[in-house]
Amino acid sequence: MWEHRCKVAVSGVGFSRITRSAEIPLAAHALEAVKAAVADSGLEMADIDGLATYPELPATGHAEVDGITIVSVNCMMAMLRLPNLSWHIQTESVNIGGAVQQAVNALLAGVCKYAVVWRAMHNPRGTYQNLPGTYAQGATQFTAPYGFGGPGQGMAVAYTRWLETHNQNREKMATLAVTQRKHAQLNPYAYFHGTPLTREDYLNSRMVAYPFCLYDCDIPVQGAVAIVLTLADRARDLKPQPAYIAGYGQRLHFEVAGRIGSLSSYMEGGRSSSKLTWERSGFSPKDVDVAQIYDGFSASVIYGLESYGFCKEGEALDFIQDGRIELNGELPLNTFGGSLSSGRIHGLQHIIEGVLQASGRAGERQVKDANVSFVGASAPIVQGTTFIFVREPY
Amino acid sequence: MSDWSKVTRPIPVPNELSRPFWDAAKQGVLAMQRCQSCGHYQHPPYPTCVDCMSVDLKFEPVEGKGTIYAYTIMYHTGDKRFAPAVPYASIIVELDAAPGALMAGNLLEAEYTEAKVGRRVEVIFQALNDDITLPQFRLARDTTPVQRS
Repeated sequence: MWEHRCKVAVSGVGFSRITRSAEIPLAAHALEAVKAAVADSGLEMADIDGLATYPELPATGHAEVDGITIVSVNCMMAMLRLPNLSWHIQTESVNIGGAVQQAVNALLAGVCKYAVVWRAMHNPRGTYQNLPGTYAQGATQFTAPYGFGGPGQGMAVAYTRWLETHNQNREKMATLAVTQRKHAQLNPYAYFHGTPLTREDYLNSRMVAYPFCLYDCDIPVQGAVAIVLTLADRARDLKPQPAYIAGYGQRLHFEVAGRIGSLSSYMEGGRSSSKLTWERSGFSPKDVDVAQIYDGFSASVIYGLESYGFCKEGEALDFIQDGRIELNGELPLNTFGGSLSSGRIHGLQHIIEGVLQASGRAGERQVKDANVSFVGASAPIVQGTTFIFVREPY
Repeated sequence: MSDWSKVTRPIPVPNELSRPFWDAAKQGVLAMQRCQSCGHYQHPPYPTCVDCMSVDLKFEPVEGKGTIYAYTIMYHTGDKRFAPAVPYASIIVELDAAPGALMAGNLLEAEYTEAKVGRRVEVIFQALNDDITLPQFRLARDTTPVQRS
C-alpha cells in the first residue's frame, strides 16, 4: 500500500453556472467555480497558495483564447492575484486528473498548503467541431481523409469492435443513459436537471456515428468546476467533511497518435491506471461502494467497468442491467448524471461527485454507507486517471 | 450506396515520417513502416519501433488484404466536407501481413451496411490529385488477385 494514502484530502468543491453555449467569457465561469470551492472550504482567497488545471479546448478548429475559450494558470493568477501563491502547474499528458494528482504531490512535498484545481470548458456558439481544412496534417493525414473528423467516430470504431466481438446489442446501453438521467434529476447542477429521458427516447433517437446515437454522446456546455485540496490534518480543521485520497493512478499505456479504434488500447490504458490505484489503496473492485466513470461517450463507461476490473471483458452491458447501477444498487454509477446528463466539463465533475459521495455531502443522491468511492476521470485510453476517495482514513 | 462524388476530402500533407507511404501509394503500392531489427510492422509511422525501440525502420510493400477490425457508420453532417456522403462507412483495417498495425479507410464499392467486424477487404487506390493517392478498401474479391500498377 501507498505510504501517503489518506494524507491528502479534498475539502471544498465549487460549481459555476452552466449554459448550453458561451454567453459570458469562460474566465468568469472559472472564477465563479474557484470562489465557490474556496468558500465551501471556509477559507479566504488569500489562503490559496497552489493552482493547477488542464486547460485544453476539445472543440477542434477554434482558436485558444485565454480567458475566452480556455482558462490557463496564467489567466487565473492574473484574476486572483494571490498574495501567498507558491506553486502552480498545467498538465497535458493525463487530462484534469493529472492536475489533481500534481496538486496531491505538491501538497505532500510541502510546497503549498491549499491548492485549487479547476476545469473550465468552453462551448463555442455554432459548430462544435469546426473542420473546414483543405489539408490533413500530422497524425490526421491518416484519418481525416476518410471522414474521421471528431472524437465521436474515433470512439465509435472501438465500440463496434466491442459489440461484434462480444456478440452484444447496443440497445442495452439505454439503461446507462436512462439511469444517469434519473440520477441527474437529483443534481441541481446538472444541465439536464428537470429533463427526464425514457428508454424509448434513447431507442428512437437519431444516429450520430453508429453505434452511437444522440444519447450516447455527452452534452457540450459552457461552465467550470473547482476543488480545494489540502493535507488531511489541515482538512479536518476546515468546514466540510473531507474526502481522503486513498490512492490514484494514471494510464501507462501509450497510443501512437493517429492509430484509432484499438479496443485493446482502451483496456490496457484502464488496467494500467486502475492497477496502481488498487495497489496503492489496498482496495479491490469488490470493496467499492460507489463509482464515477468518465462518460464523454457512453462506451467509455463500458471500457472503464471492464478494464478497471468491475466485470469481465464483454460483460459490461449486462453488468449495468437489473438495477445494479441505481443509487441503491450493487454499484451506484455516475450518481450525478455523468457528462451525458450533467454536461461536458471533463472528469473534474466525476472527481467532485466521488468526493461528495465519500464525504456524505451528496444530498438527495447520497449513496448509503459510501466509504470507498472510485473515480475513473477520463476515457481510459489516452489520458486516463483513476482515484479512490474514502470517508475514514485507515 | 454512399455518394462520394460531392465529397471534398482533406488532402494528406506528407512529412518526414510519412513521405514514403504516400510515394508508394501514388505508385499503387501499399507500403508500411517495418522495423529492420525485429521485423515488426507499424502504422501510423513513428520515429522508433514501438516494439523494440530500434531506429532502423524502412517502408516495405505489403499485400493489401486484411479484415475490418472496427468501423463506424457516420450519420452526423457536422463535417461539411463529408456531409454529401452520409451515411458512410469509415473502417479500421488490420492487414494480414501486419497484425496490430491499424489503417483507416472507407468501405467503397459496397453498401455501408456491408461493413462488419471481421469482413475480408482488399486495398484499392483512389487518386485525390497529381501528388496524393489514398489507399482505400473494398470487400475482398477472392477470385480476383489484388491489382497493382
